[in-house]
Amino acid sequence: MGLIANYNLRSMIVRKGTAAMTAMGIAMVVAVFVMTLAIAQGFRSTLVASGSPENAIILRKGSTSENLSAVLKNQLPIIESLPQIAHGPDGRPLASAELLVIISLPRVTDNQPANVPLRGVGPKAYEVRSTLKFVEGRRFTPGTREINVGQQALTRFKGLALGSDVKFGSATWKVAGIFTAEDASFESEIWGDVDLMMPAFQRGGYQSVTAKMTDPSVFESLDAAIAADPRLDLKPQREPEYYADQSATTTTLIRVFATFVTVILSIGAVFGAMNTMYAAVAYRTREIGTLRALGFSRLRIVTAFLAESVALALVGGAIGCVLALPVHGLSTGTMNMASFSELAFKFRITPGLLLGGLLFSALMGAVGGLLPAIRAARIPVARALREI
Amino acid sequence: MALIELRDVTKSYRRDAIEIPVLDRVSISVPEGDFLGLMGPSGSGKSTLLNLLAGIDRPSRGSVRIGDTEISSLSERALAAWRARNIGFIFQLYNLIPVLTAFENVELPLLLTSLSKKQRRDHVMTALNIVGLGDRAQHYPRQLSGGQEQRVAIARAIVTDPKLLLADEPTGDLDAKSAGEVLTLLQRLNQEYKKTIVMVTHDPHAAERASHLLHLEKGTLVEQVKVG
Amino acid sequence: MKFINLVLKSARRSKRRTALTVLSVAIAVFLFSALRAVLDGFNAATEASSSTRLVTIRSTSMIFNMPTSHVDTIRSVPGVQDVTYANWFGGIYKDPKNFFANIAIEPESYLRMYPEIIVSPEEKQAFLEDRTGCLVGSGLVKRYDWHVGDKIVLKPGIPYYGTQDYPFTIRGIYKSGSSAVDDQTMWFHWKYVDERGAVHGQVGWVVALLNNPDAATRVSQLIDEKFANSPNETKTDTEKQFQASFASMLGNLNLLLGSVALAVVITTLFVAGNTMAMSVRERTTEIAVMRTLGFQAVTIFLLVVGEGIVVSIVGGALGAFVARLIVNGEFLQAAGGFIPQFGVNNWNAVTGVGLGAVIGLLAALIPATMASRLKIVDALRRVA
Repeated sequence: MGLIANYNLRSMIVRKGTAAMTAMGIAMVVAVFVMTLAIAQGFRSTLVASGSPENAIILRKGSTSENLSAVLKNQLPIIESLPQIAHGPDGRPLASAELLVIISLPRVTDNQPANVPLRGVGPKAYEVRSTLKFVEGRRFTPGTREINVGQQALTRFKGLALGSDVKFGSATWKVAGIFTAEDASFESEIWGDVDLMMPAFQRGGYQSVTAKMTDPSVFESLDAAIAADPRLDLKPQREPEYYADQSATTTTLIRVFATFVTVILSIGAVFGAMNTMYAAVAYRTREIGTLRALGFSRLRIVTAFLAESVALALVGGAIGCVLALPVHGLSTGTMNMASFSELAFKFRITPGLLLGGLLFSALMGAVGGLLPAIRAARIPVARALREI
Repeated sequence: MALIELRDVTKSYRRDAIEIPVLDRVSISVPEGDFLGLMGPSGSGKSTLLNLLAGIDRPSRGSVRIGDTEISSLSERALAAWRARNIGFIFQLYNLIPVLTAFENVELPLLLTSLSKKQRRDHVMTALNIVGLGDRAQHYPRQLSGGQEQRVAIARAIVTDPKLLLADEPTGDLDAKSAGEVLTLLQRLNQEYKKTIVMVTHDPHAAERASHLLHLEKGTLVEQVKVG
Repeated sequence: MKFINLVLKSARRSKRRTALTVLSVAIAVFLFSALRAVLDGFNAATEASSSTRLVTIRSTSMIFNMPTSHVDTIRSVPGVQDVTYANWFGGIYKDPKNFFANIAIEPESYLRMYPEIIVSPEEKQAFLEDRTGCLVGSGLVKRYDWHVGDKIVLKPGIPYYGTQDYPFTIRGIYKSGSSAVDDQTMWFHWKYVDERGAVHGQVGWVVALLNNPDAATRVSQLIDEKFANSPNETKTDTEKQFQASFASMLGNLNLLLGSVALAVVITTLFVAGNTMAMSVRERTTEIAVMRTLGFQAVTIFLLVVGEGIVVSIVGGALGAFVARLIVNGEFLQAAGGFIPQFGVNNWNAVTGVGLGAVIGLLAALIPATMASRLKIVDALRRVA
């Protein structure tokens, strides 16, 4: 087998122009594949990062999303008194009653109005969501018209710098601090005191309560306790599951799009690989005849050419992965269908994705090289030797 | 005046830093209406000489005059146009285009003229009839025997009615019978149609049909023999 | 031209290779056309939007409502000829997956101000007379097999409208007269849903018809001034600007789809160029023969390019045709819930074929140059 591998490798080098073009065709397909799936991955990661297994988000029964839910003011103390809710060092329950609304702010890139999520939160919000860290300024003071801005929101929308005055809900609010949240969706949000947000937006109640549980395993008993209480027409969900669901529509949409484009594109690349391999076989007919006359079996010939095609495709795949890498970490935003607000996220290329790209390229090489390889093996030896 | 006049023609190729002479100060004079055979061992430069006459190669030194034209001083564009009008080339391996019919192959040189479709048709059929293949006009090369292919190639060479026919080992790839037919055809073209022919050949049977012979060895003329 | 025969016959040299090239180009053009259709779909609504209608929403963001009193105030602003209003109901038909726009409108004025909503006079009358009636778009009718007289029930999606069901009766089917209005919307009476809802007396947006289209900016300002410094401040724009900002929310679609389209074209250039180079390489002797016969180098160049273009145009036509077939077909109409007017129009199809020609031209350039630069004697020598 070693002889064949060597021979194939050298043959490839001799026809380097053609080989290069074919590899580049495959490289492009893999690059598109990786880049578009990196979008889906990035979007999903951002939302998944928003969920902690220790937290539960409690919504009205039947609501699929927090902005379509409603939690009454008097339901909050009931929830806070549940034994499954953890308490902070000061003895107070770690639960945050929240209200998510949308305000319109101009986007930095095109100056068009964007739907920016504005979250009214309870005083324990930062303890419940422990991944949040302040990079500038400090927490807003509860009871005042101060707000905190997520890092992504700051870079994407105008007028949110530390110390700025932001006008909405017929009042002016001051930015007191900028926070990061390890790429979670919260970084696209603006936070303020929920008890001030409610009247500002003429709302009479909250939409959701997010609480930290004493332990992730108590979720089932929390669920049972809420179901048993007739005053609570609510239902809890584990935070990670909630956010995974939220991202589902958009993620699926992007994935479908990515798959559609790359599959079709790959057909073109496979045709290219096929062409190249057919030409290679035709060019080397006499050599093949010689090898067969020397005793190399048909199977060996098929394997050799197939391997050559796959190897060439893998080179293309590797180039494609390298071409796609620069987009990793690129920030972009889109509308989250579920919340109707703008979510910023970063392109995310994972090792899994790169591996997928390589496997995909190998597949293209295999499919493209199969028929030519079979043809190579089926050439009658005597005829092959006569070819010039 | 001679149709062809080569004066002190030298052709060398560069391989890395070395100059390899293929033709060394060759001077030849070929009268109009002549049927000249060029012979010599492999590497003697006879094909190169033919290429120079056809204008598909240029001498390193010396001059090549054919008719009124000093072809060694023409530009590439002018040479191509000159070739189309003045030369008919016959290759050893026929070199017909496989995707074209016999008719279309013979028509090829006429596409470079301003003749109308009907005029082209007439010329092509005339040429095919001269070589005896008028009834095979719609056949593809793969449907013809070697001898027939070569005759189509000859038809292609004469369709523009050139002054000069150049043949490079025309019978080299043919069996004895076909070779004989092709050579008879060439003789006829020379004697009946007054075409000047320069033919490179190894084949003594082919050499017999020529009226003059030139021998080349290592790039120089060795002897001139008149075939009687 | 007399060389056409030569070009066409050349393409038949290796049928398999030509077929594969045609298919590669077809695929590229197919993708390109499909992507363009998506982009045009999004932009169509904006393009067709009116510059004579103004849309007024809460300045905070469009998800907040305004009191009905705003409507009369806007009507009184000089420069305003007519006024109507609507609310986004956001109702769910059986399953949240069945997404389509359902909107509560002030029926008489809305239909008057939107002549693009085309409905027969009888059905329009029936709709106006029945408070629980609704008008549904021809696209929705296709999707759900609805008929006039059918009863439709929507569950409220927004807490504003409470928790009970909202039954409607289909009184008419409308066709859309322009891309500004899509054909998959359900319209019903504002009064009906307002009464049944949990909160009352609020409108989502107000549409005003201008006397003079050139006064758009001035009248917008006048409207907003009426509500400045009140708890319900407004933001007024032409309908066109409003639609444009909507389209921009989905992200920089132009850039994304444009980049993908570019990648598609580049990939195809590699594939097609490779094929043409192979084809030329096989023909070196033939090219040398033609040069010997007197064909100019530039003629050879043009013949190879011509062949490339011809093959690619065939591919382009195939791709455009298939795109039209699939994209305009029924099975993608479901996407119409999100994307209005999704289809490959004639202009797109022609562009597709043109793209094929361009791909053929670009891909053929290097092989054609290689072919024309061939040294005759070297090529002839290669064989024997």
